[in-house]
This record gives sequence, structure tokens and C-alpha cells, in this order.
Amino acid sequence: MLKYSLRRLGSAIPTLFLLITFAFFLIRIAPGGPFDSERALPADIEANLAAKYHLDEPLVFQYARYLWQIARGDLGPSFHYRDWTVNDLIIQGAPVSFLLGAAALLLALVIGVITGAWAALRQNRPADYTVMSIAMVGISIPNFVMAPLLILLFAIVLGWVPAGGWAFSFDRMVLPVVTLALPMIAYIARITRGSMIEVLHSSYIRTVRAKGMPEKEVILRHALKPALLPVISYLGPAAAAILTGSVVVERIFTIPGIGSYFVQGALNRDYTLVMGVVILYGVLIILFNFLVDLIYAFLDPRIRYDDGETET
Amino acid sequence: MHGKTQEFQDVRSVHGTPVAVAVPSRARSFSSSSVLSVVPLFLVFLLSAPLTFAATLHRGVGPEPDSLDIHTAQSLSALNVLRDLHEGLLTFDAGAELISGVAQSWSVSDDGRVWTFELDPSARWSDGKRIVAQDFVTGWRRALDPATASPTAALLDPVENARAVRSGRAQPGALGVGAPSPHRLVVRLERPTPWFGELLTHPVTYPWPGEGTSRYSGAFVLDGQVPGARLELLPNEHYRAAGEVSLDAVTWHVIEQPNVELTRYRAGQLHVTETIPPGRVDWLRERFGDELRISPYLGSFFLAFNLQREPFADAAKLRRALSLAVDRDILVERVLGSGEIPAWGLLPPGMPGWPEGREPPLAPGERLVEAERLYREAGYGDDRPLEVELRFNTSLTHRRMAAAIAAMWKLHLGVRTRLVNEEWKVFITNRRQGRITEVFRGGWIADWRDAANFLQLFAGDSPGNYTFFDDPVFDGLMRRAARERGDERLRILREAEARLLDEQVIVPLYYYVSRHLVDPDVRGFEDNPMDIHLSRWMSLP
Repeated sequence: MLKYSLRRLGSAIPTLFLLITFAFFLIRIAPGGPFDSERALPADIEANLAAKYHLDEPLVFQYARYLWQIARGDLGPSFHYRDWTVNDLIIQGAPVSFLLGAAALLLALVIGVITGAWAALRQNRPADYTVMSIAMVGISIPNFVMAPLLILLFAIVLGWVPAGGWAFSFDRMVLPVVTLALPMIAYIARITRGSMIEVLHSSYIRTVRAKGMPEKEVILRHALKPALLPVISYLGPAAAAILTGSVVVERIFTIPGIGSYFVQGALNRDYTLVMGVVILYGVLIILFNFLVDLIYAFLDPRIRYDDGETET
Repeated sequence: MHGKTQEFQDVRSVHGTPVAVAVPSRARSFSSSSVLSVVPLFLVFLLSAPLTFAATLHRGVGPEPDSLDIHTAQSLSALNVLRDLHEGLLTFDAGAELISGVAQSWSVSDDGRVWTFELDPSARWSDGKRIVAQDFVTGWRRALDPATASPTAALLDPVENARAVRSGRAQPGALGVGAPSPHRLVVRLERPTPWFGELLTHPVTYPWPGEGTSRYSGAFVLDGQVPGARLELLPNEHYRAAGEVSLDAVTWHVIEQPNVELTRYRAGQLHVTETIPPGRVDWLRERFGDELRISPYLGSFFLAFNLQREPFADAAKLRRALSLAVDRDILVERVLGSGEIPAWGLLPPGMPGWPEGREPPLAPGERLVEAERLYREAGYGDDRPLEVELRFNTSLTHRRMAAAIAAMWKLHLGVRTRLVNEEWKVFITNRRQGRITEVFRGGWIADWRDAANFLQLFAGDSPGNYTFFDDPVFDGLMRRAARERGDERLRILREAEARLLDEQVIVPLYYYVSRHLVDPDVRGFEDNPMDIHLSRWMSLP
């Protein structure tokens, strides 16, 4: 297991290197630069700015300089938010985004699994159809539609919570977390229901039932655990969905996370900021997929990562 | 407390029963109004309401300010915050009229080239030290130092040797600014500059607080900043007019999208918005009445032609036909509908020397006849229609307007227009290079209240001249105006504008308006043509 983990993490380095290289040159290809604005600057001022940020050097030099910088953990100064370094911005924004994402994921997991399992036990009965119809609606409504609806109802009409802004408090977090979690709740409920139904029809469940095990124990001890496998493998894409979803949610609720830097950074041609967020997202997705694989092995005894051989 | 400020009321606690594991439910006093409470389902949140101030003004600032360094800040949002935190030699009152700032008086030499400022002895930094003339000298030298790379340094160009310093051809010491005594500042200009006083309200001209220090010369100090969320300001107790500042705090909220800003205003979280969402003015007027403040703003919106490419190079008649075929009234009333003023000239009304905008050239009916005649004379017609690309940066308003203009050209002249929308940076890059542009969106907002600020854009040597208009007559007029003063200067500038319009370098469309929602509780917010509203003039009950 340790060997496997080390190898997985080792293979992440070339992946990240490729990601950084692609992103570095792609953002430079985009027309316009960080200092272009409505008013064109006099040539000497442009030259001063380029010199200050090393944009006057050949691109390959800039690339080498950047690699050397990030090797030391320095993501460079933001080209647009000039009072801050990218490290500053990410250190301040990332905990907010993580908290938001983690809360949404946790909420989605708990509610999704419970409703999914509950619906599976009532397969093809009205309760099942109702839950699954609601889930379908939840998947279909994009969060940029859901968020304003929730704000309109709970912040403006009812006045229960603020319409936006961020603080580490229930009233500020509830709407963004719910918005982000809703589509995932629906997905997870559907996945859980499907795999639960499959497991419930398998022969070993018939066996434990035949042995007279109480129904509660059958469900919780024997059925739910294997039924969760597809849910776990969904967590990888779910994490990615949260990252991209939070870009929208953060903008609508004016939450100072890193999601908005992704968009604004690209629009402002803030090269270093875009790169910083790309690297962070890359690391997170690699890490998350790795964790999912580990959890897999833990949940399913048939999966072993010894000596790199995977038998299923 | 007013109903719209419920956000700032004390905590609403949310209690719940812990499930599965017993989570200790402890109440902890975090700030005066914080409670730790437990809610169902493992989610534990700290309930903290912001500290409640007697009178905290909540303002939308728009996008995150790009910098709070007076020399590197460039965005409108940054300048607005800096005007609260710092003060220049002169400043604006609530109606954006020039009043004395750090300088209590000033005089201009007879030749208009030497300005002498007497500094207010009560002007202090927020740490209590006196603001001295040397602080300005240091600041201006730093602004022009190539190593600072200040994007707004060109505003100091009227000062003697400023250009040479900023391009590294002269030492900072050569700059025409000196401090003969701590309370006297003397500025030598390259040439008489009537609008120099206005310039002194721009942050790039403010006294320099020192590298790495956090002291402020303005009515407020920065108390806290969360990037992407807000900037919190407290009154500066050492400010020279601290007694006149009645607010207890100001919070500028970073909100990128006007729709989101509106939502937060409706929820009572903002007193003053930065703008309003486009296309909803009727609804807003109905819903908010007097809270909606729409007022003329010194800015001008137009279409510009690329004069170095087909089909508009050497085609004044065609350009004129396209201009005449656009019905500005329909555009303003039906497409934009937020109080914009139809334009037939470049300079907005209210600019010194421009009491009113230009009159339309012909009666509405005659315009179309004339447009058609010119279009044919230019060699186009039903058998050979003009095919043109109308380029604009992606925005709902721009798209609607471009579609309306294309429809007018099609209906009245038979022009085939292709609408091209581009992401902002792509658009300005293309516009600047001029290699693929034909007719495209343009506009200008006054940096200071002077006609030359608008007209300079079209000078042959202007770095921003995206029309590539290079006209000896126009450039000659601009040079003559630079040498003249008073009414004669304004007369020449009017002539220059007339030349620009005769040559039909642009299709003027409308003059801008400023748009805000202002809570009825707020006093001291005055509509003004610069759309600059210092928080120090505002108060709350």
C-alpha cells in the first residue's frame, strides 16, 4: 500500500509539470496582456511595466524563471491585484473555498446516501418515484439558476439570511452550501439507489436474510457498504464539479474564495494568478482521485494495491 | 434600526440537537455578538455578526480594486477607495466642485507656468505627523520613476521634465517640483495647463505616505481588507477636517456583478450601489422611486471607424451616411432606456465651454434622405451593398445596441452588417492594432473636466488613437489650443471637435449617465457629473 501510494504520488509530478507547461503557454497565446486597458498607455510606461514584471524577456526565459520560482513555492506577484502575491491571494481564498466545498460535499453525501438507500428500499413505490423525480429536477437545475431563486426566497422575501457576503457563520454559509450541494445530493441519491437495488438482489443478501439476520443489520452491515462503491468513485468527479461549481456560486454570493480568481484572472490576463489557481486545482484533483482509490481498497476487500497488481 | 439593515442586528441563534456523537454545545463569546451553536447534521458553524457600528456606510465598489498604492492603482474602484483614504492638494466637494485639500491656498504665475501651494498646517498623516511639501515631491518623483512603473504616471506630464523622467532620460531630481519650505510646494509646468487643478484630485498626485507604511492623508484609514470581499475603513482622527466626518465607519463591498449588487441592496446589505444592472431601469424606477439616481456623467459613447483600412479609408461620405442613418433617439429610449442623452458630438454637455451638446445636423426626415444620397455617391447601392463588420466587446447592452444599429443601416441603406463580439482583452488588442477592425465600439470618460482630455485621443501621435485619424488640420488646432488660454483656447477646441465631426471619424451615439441606488437614510450623496462621491460628505441618521 505504501509502495503504491509513493508510486502514485511520484507519477503526479510529470502530470503537474505538463499541466503547468500547457497552461503557461496557453494563457500567453491569448490576445492582450495584463496591462492593456480602455486607455492605451504611452510606450515608455508600457516598457516600464513590462520590465518590472519581466514580460520583456523571451518567453522561454520567463518560463524557466517561473519554474524556478514555483520550485521554491513562490507563485509570484499578481499582475492585476498588484498589492498582493498569488500566494497571499490563495492563502486567503483557499480556506474559504475548501470550507464551502467540504461542507457541500459532506451535506450531499449524507443526504444523498440516506435518501438513495431509502428510495431503494421502496423500489417502484410512490415514495421511490417521488424522490427520484425530485432528484431529476435537482440535477437539471443549474446552480446559476438555483442560487438567485434561493436568494430571492430566503434573503429578500423571507429575510432569514443575508443575500451574500461571507463569514464563518451558519446564516452566511447555508445558501451557498445548499446551492452547491443540491445537484450532488441528487446525483448521489440516484447512484446509491441504483447500486443498492443491485446489491439487495444479490445472492449473498439472500443468504444473510435466509439465515434470519434482522433486516436493519442486513441493510446497514451488508448491503450499504458495497452499495457505496459507485458513490465513492463519483467523489472524484464530484470534487472537480465542486471546484468548477464554486466559481459560479462564489460570484453570485460574493464569497471571497479562489473560484472568482480563476475567472477574473483569465479575463484580466493575470498570468501568475491563473497559473497559481490552475496548479492548485491540478494538485487537488490528483490528490482527490488518489484518496478515492485508497478508500476503494478499504471498502472493497477484493481490491488490493500490492505490488502494483490490481485484481478485481 | 431601519428595516433594511437587519443584517447588522444582533445574532439570530440557530439551535439544534446533535446527532450520533454528542457534540458539546458551548456558547462562547467571540465578539460582542457571537455565539457558537450546533445545528443538526454535524455542521457546526460559528455565528458571528459583524460588529455593530452606530453609523457604518455600506457601499458597493464594483470589482476588487487593483491596488491601494496611489501610484500603481488604475481601476475605477481603486481610485474611489483611495479618494477616501488619501487627499491631494485639492479635492472635491459633494457636488464634485474643486475645493482646497491639503493645500489651503494656491496661486498661479502670470504666464500660467508656476503654481505655488501653501499647505494647510493642520493637515496630518493618520499617525499624527504633519504632511509636508516634501511628501509631494517624493511622491511625484516616485510616480515617474521607471522602476515604479506607474500606469497613471502620464497624468503628471504637464509638469516640467515629467516625460523625460518617466522614460528614464532624466533623473527624478530634474522634475519641476520643489519644496522651498515644509509648507510651500512650487510646481513648474511645461506650458500653461488650465486643468492642472483638476489633476491634483487624482490619487497619483497625492502626498507619498512612505514605502511599506500604512498611514493615510485622507478622511479615513484602512482598518481591514479581505480580498474579493470588502475593505473596512474607519475615520482618521488626525484628518484636518475630522470634525466634519460624521460616519463611524465605511465598508466598501467588492461585488463584480451588478445583478448581485442589486440583490444585496434589496436585502438591505448596501446603502449605495456602484451601478445598476442594464436593461431594468423601468422596473427599478417603479420599485425604488427616488432611490434610483440617474444623472449626466462626463462620458461619451460612439462608434469609431478605422481610417487606415477599407472600406472606411478616404470614404468620408460613406461614414457620414452611416452616421446619419442611426436614429439616436430610438437607441437611447428603446434599446438603452436608462436616461442616456442622444449625442451628435464628442464632448458631453456640462464640460467647461460646452454648455450643451451639439445639435443634430438635419431634421429627422432629411437625415435619411441625405444618408441615402451620400451612400449612393460613395458608390454603394442595392446592387452593390456595403458589407461591414461591427465589432464590440461582449456585453448584453453592446450586443443589443449593435443589433439595433445594424437593423437601421439595413433598413435605410441596405448595408449588410456582421456583428462581431469579442472578449474584452481580445477586443482592445484588435482595436489598437487596427489590422482587422472596420467600425467598432469606442468611448471616453473624462479623467478631468477639460475638452482636450477627450480630443487628445484623436491626435495623430496619441497612443490610444484607434481610428488612425492623422489630420494636419486637427493636430494643428490641438497644438494651437495648447498654447492659448481662456476663451480663445475653448474656441479652438470647439473648432477641433467640429473638424473631427466633419471628417466623421466617429459616429457619436450617446452621452453617459451615472447610475446608483441610494438608500433614503443616506444624506450628503449628491449627483454630480464626475460621479465621484467621497464618503466624507455622507452621513447616516
